[in-house]
Amino acid sequence: MIPPKEFLRKIKPFSFLEDTRLNALVSGLDVVMYPPDTVICRQGEISPAVYLVFSGLVGLYDGEDVVDYVAKGEIFGLLSAIHQAPSYYEARTLEETICYSFDATTFAEVYRTHSAFASFFSAFVERRFRAFSRLAREGEGSEEASSLVEVGTLLSKAPVTCTADATVAEAVSLMERHKVGSVIVVDGTRPVGILTNRDIRRVLIHGERESPVREFMSAPPICLDRRSPVFDAYTQLLRTGIDHLIVVDGDRVAGVVTSKDILAQLEPSSSILALYRKVIKATDLQALQSAFRAIRLAVSEMALKGMHFYQLSRMITSVYDMVVVRIIEFLKDPEEKGDFLWIHLGSSGRKEQVITTDQDNAVILSPSGPQLELTQRINDALEQVGVPKCPAQYMASNPRWHLTLEEWKELFSRWFEEPTPDHIRYLTVFLDMRTVYGDAAPLEELLEHIHASATNQAVRFLAHDATLNEPPIGIFGIKHLDRGVNLKKFGIYPIANGVRVLALDHKLLHVTNTRERIEALRDMKALGQERAGDLLEAYAFLQDLRLRHQAHALKNGSAGDNLIRVEELDKMDLLVLKESLKITASFQKMLKARYGVERGL
Amino acid sequence: MRLEDARFAAVDLETTGLDVRRDHIVAVAAVPMEGTRIRVGDAFYTTVRPEKYRLDGMKYHGIAANDLETAPTFEEIADRLWKLCDGILVGHCVHIDSQFLSRFFGKMGRSFQRPLVDIAELEKWIGRREGRARSAEELSLDALMIRYGLKEHFRHNALADAFFAAQIFQIQVIRNGIQTVEQLLGILKDQRVCNAHFLL
Repeated sequence: MIPPKEFLRKIKPFSFLEDTRLNALVSGLDVVMYPPDTVICRQGEISPAVYLVFSGLVGLYDGEDVVDYVAKGEIFGLLSAIHQAPSYYEARTLEETICYSFDATTFAEVYRTHSAFASFFSAFVERRFRAFSRLAREGEGSEEASSLVEVGTLLSKAPVTCTADATVAEAVSLMERHKVGSVIVVDGTRPVGILTNRDIRRVLIHGERESPVREFMSAPPICLDRRSPVFDAYTQLLRTGIDHLIVVDGDRVAGVVTSKDILAQLEPSSSILALYRKVIKATDLQALQSAFRAIRLAVSEMALKGMHFYQLSRMITSVYDMVVVRIIEFLKDPEEKGDFLWIHLGSSGRKEQVITTDQDNAVILSPSGPQLELTQRINDALEQVGVPKCPAQYMASNPRWHLTLEEWKELFSRWFEEPTPDHIRYLTVFLDMRTVYGDAAPLEELLEHIHASATNQAVRFLAHDATLNEPPIGIFGIKHLDRGVNLKKFGIYPIANGVRVLALDHKLLHVTNTRERIEALRDMKALGQERAGDLLEAYAFLQDLRLRHQAHALKNGSAGDNLIRVEELDKMDLLVLKESLKITASFQKMLKARYGVERGL
Repeated sequence: MRLEDARFAAVDLETTGLDVRRDHIVAVAAVPMEGTRIRVGDAFYTTVRPEKYRLDGMKYHGIAANDLETAPTFEEIADRLWKLCDGILVGHCVHIDSQFLSRFFGKMGRSFQRPLVDIAELEKWIGRREGRARSAEELSLDALMIRYGLKEHFRHNALADAFFAAQIFQIQVIRNGIQTVEQLLGILKDQRVCNAHFLL
């Protein structure tokens, strides 16, 4: 065997290929060497080949800026070469470099016909590593019975079927009649395809009522034996991105399970719902306390089972909020509902608290005057229920954060006009304010005031603050990995803080959630499509990783920290972590440029 | 001629011995190069059945006698090999391979004469140029592979050896800024090392 082939078949994703495809690649392979500082592909030109770095180092440049480094075993030129599209970057060697150069046509052929091979690249090399981070999580199946239940038990309706020759109109009326979102297309009892709501959309554009189902069905259908565990169905859903799975018994159709059915079975959100009801019905602090403890445990269980940060945080925020609302209702005279507006700050303000840390709250008072005694009792009660007091005293009972609307406005104006380090720190906490209890109108007014009074100087200081902690990313990966990586300091905070700066600048502070802020910024074109996508993925991954890490700690009864250690990461996690930190660093660079941070403050 | 416009072929033969007048070829490998670009996809390797030769008990470089029984004869591969070796021959002590090829092509009435680039000789020149003469051991293929960072690989199959010769040649000429064929062949004129003992 020729040595390059031997080399290729040992490395991913070439190792996924069977011999005939690998031979095809090798048949279009050249080994090329470049002296340092050689341009292999110019920006805007079509890459002449797909390149794998065998030794040396290649820089990808956008103009004069290095966007990325490609080191041994890594690929460049892929998208440009196989789509025959202009390259986004110039590829230039930084050292003497030897590359394996693959013929673009042959490579494209293998790429198009081998899905595992292609997904490796589309997931990893091109940075859209959503699928990749999913892969990284896939192995964490729960051992709990719920995931081992047979898929067949989830079926509640007899299968709704039609033949491939039926018209779309007939199929749709079947769906209507049986109130289902899909029809299984059968040949006898054997499934040959499925027509779902999603396919119907295509009919609207490309077809007509009388079009035969065969033209629009998804085929071949993805089938699962009725005896397979629900967990298999779940991984199948993740892998394929579809939401209707056909369940078969032998080769007979047994029914359809949807992503909703599967998630409902898998995620013990049912227990969260039960706890939520318990919170609503609680009549004293003791009942709240026991419910809260149970919620915390259930949440960490779910985190350990691989439920994702976004899903979990969305669900849990309303539960935590309800705990606070119940406490206020216990302690407050119901007649005085309009007296203050209870606000959450920081991560709770952003709806990003999953495993609660401590209290971060404040009030906007009505002109009727202070409520120090009442807010003190609320803070005490929250502590009693299980939410520790804030060591930095960001609490409603602290007279400093116990202000009328006018006082708040003045305070923000002062912070913006005198951006001292203290004031900048306050801004990073108080710009994420969210109503939890009371009439939200004063907060909306305050936000308008904030948008109007933010100074350029303060925005630049905030941008500076968001770019202070640069992720420990070097040419060859994560630096000092042996000492662990502080996910909060180098990933989560820089992104959340940076996104807040953009949100302030674009008057979007009424949106507090980082994910929603990124999406809103993207929609108003304040963030590029690609960067927004990268940030969403990176943020979700970092939060997931931290959540899992903290859930482990909680389960072992230790205090959770933000320091992730190499031992906790498998190879996939490490790769995605590296990508996520790179995205963070690139985001910081963008902020520095946009707000002129480099030029000094 | 610019080096980048020249055609090369890295070759390696496996033979029944080192006597170019009597021994037989049992395997041939050729890895073509366009300039310094190694065309892995066009590489050629085959075992060769020696005619009128007792195959019993023969075992060379892991090639078993019964593998050779079904192998093509030199005549059968001669055309393809001729086409592949239409440029400058590159190899480790390529003089010997060249002489074997001349004899076998000669038997078919073809005169095989190609310019030769021996990577050991090239290395000897590089050593002098760097002011540190290479010892005979340092000129062996294994030592060159280590020097050029190619050592992780399994070798000692004609195809692997031919490929590594191509790779070493590629690094040698690029690192030393050799630009033309004339320059290259001029360098090699007085660097004969090929009769060194390490060959045996």
